[in-house]
Amino acid sequence: MLDLDRPKIEIRGVSKTYASERGPVLALRGTDLTVNEGEFVSIVGPSGCGKSTLLYVVGGFLAADGDVIIDGSPVQGPGTDRGVVFQEYALFPWLTVHDNIRYGLERQRVAASERDKIVDRLVNVIGLSGFENRYPRELSGGMKQRVAIARTLACDPAILLLDEPFGALDAQTREIMQDELLRIWLETRKTVLLVTHDVTEAVYLSNRICVMSARPGQIIEEFVVALDRSCSREELVISEPFNSTRNKVWLSVRRQALAAGKQE
Amino acid sequence: MTHFLGKLLLSATCWMVRIAPLILFGLVWHLVCSAQLVNKDFLPSPLAVAAAFVDLFSSGEIATNLTITLFRAAVGLLLGAGCGVWIGVMMARSRHFREYVTPIVGGTYSLPKSALIPLFALWFGIGNLTAIAAVFLACLLPMVVNTYHGVLTTPKVLVWSAEALGTRERELWPRVFIRNALPDIFTGLRIALGFSFVLAISAEMIASTNGIGKLIFMYGENGTYDYMFAAICCVVIVAFFSDRALLVVTRRVLVWHESGAFERERPRP
Repeated sequence: MLDLDRPKIEIRGVSKTYASERGPVLALRGTDLTVNEGEFVSIVGPSGCGKSTLLYVVGGFLAADGDVIIDGSPVQGPGTDRGVVFQEYALFPWLTVHDNIRYGLERQRVAASERDKIVDRLVNVIGLSGFENRYPRELSGGMKQRVAIARTLACDPAILLLDEPFGALDAQTREIMQDELLRIWLETRKTVLLVTHDVTEAVYLSNRICVMSARPGQIIEEFVVALDRSCSREELVISEPFNSTRNKVWLSVRRQALAAGKQE
Repeated sequence: MTHFLGKLLLSATCWMVRIAPLILFGLVWHLVCSAQLVNKDFLPSPLAVAAAFVDLFSSGEIATNLTITLFRAAVGLLLGAGCGVWIGVMMARSRHFREYVTPIVGGTYSLPKSALIPLFALWFGIGNLTAIAAVFLACLLPMVVNTYHGVLTTPKVLVWSAEALGTRERELWPRVFIRNALPDIFTGLRIALGFSFVLAISAEMIASTNGIGKLIFMYGENGTYDYMFAAICCVVIVAFFSDRALLVVTRRVLVWHESGAFERERPRP
């Protein structure tokens, strides 16, 4: 089934210009990237480099020049094949935990009995049983992000687009959530595109890391991460391969951040 | 049992503390009158007003006229709120509509709607239609402005999430935009409710043969100020309780919203 050499997402020469009060701003310039099926790719780069913009273009939320091709056909707009998780959770505040997770299933006309089964399973997976009838405002940041991930997983998208999903969480919660995401990915082998500014997070989670240049953004360096995922987080984080990869990526991002600083 | 009694006593005390300023106000009013600091023909004592109130109430004069006023206020409010939400949504939906409507909204927003009552009386005659038209117009604008604002402040990520979860563009309106605007719509509704009383009564004072407004105007003209004050007090009481009722409904509908949480989770004394 899973073909690790088959391109799932192909980004070809994507450029994006924003209109601003001080004239047009070039956010992305001729970006190319291919993500294969079942791959976990992270995009890191200095803030404002356009990495989130690239993700929104892949999501079909923003129109841009160039092509984004999913499974061989060009992206026309948002689609249920691409599940998205945003940093600001983006839960519907007027729906309970249960109804938020059920929302996408309802829109896609999944049978009611099936729907409830999926929601119940996911509520258990994210460890929020007992909180089904709470509204988002009654939840902590970590709980909200768990619900947002569950809401996305409920529709079983082939691709996960994650926009700094753990950026607003405290350090401890973030590590727990990273482990959960890693476990889900190892189980389901979805194609994942993660945008983050946290280099350690990128190395811990991904197969491959793309470093973006300062604005206008372009992917300038790629690192393949070959780590043994079977060992524990503690072992992995202090291991030599982990740290040498992290240092290389960190230096690369650092160079771009300094370049971005000079531009200002 | 004692726990229940204690709770009852506590809530009674809370209630007393809350109405204490009102009692103090009545007391000062009474003292001013009984000390004859002002001519009692111009400022009737609270006791005289209370007596007039009882008289108006038992004669059925209040009930008849209040029903008429409430009917006018309610019809105007419902029509104004309905149209206001529609216009607000349309303004957010269509650029052409917005460009057409914005100058009209901007131009009439600060116009005192009561200034138009004589004109409405000319067009619609004396009675229901003039009062309803005045209430309608006054309620319309706060609803338009608040609905428009509520739709416009819908976070982009909510719309994107809905789209990525399979919401079609037409469905976005009832499922995301209007839901997001609900807190603002209720804010508009609360403002409109206040306006509905003001305009219904103003219209009745100028162009009506009945209603509480007419009652106030008539007793004022006759110089029977105790009856005039009694009629005013009646309006105050009704307006106060309808505002409370709307707040209760708002809290029910917006349980999910932060403002509701604040009201309920406030520490009690």
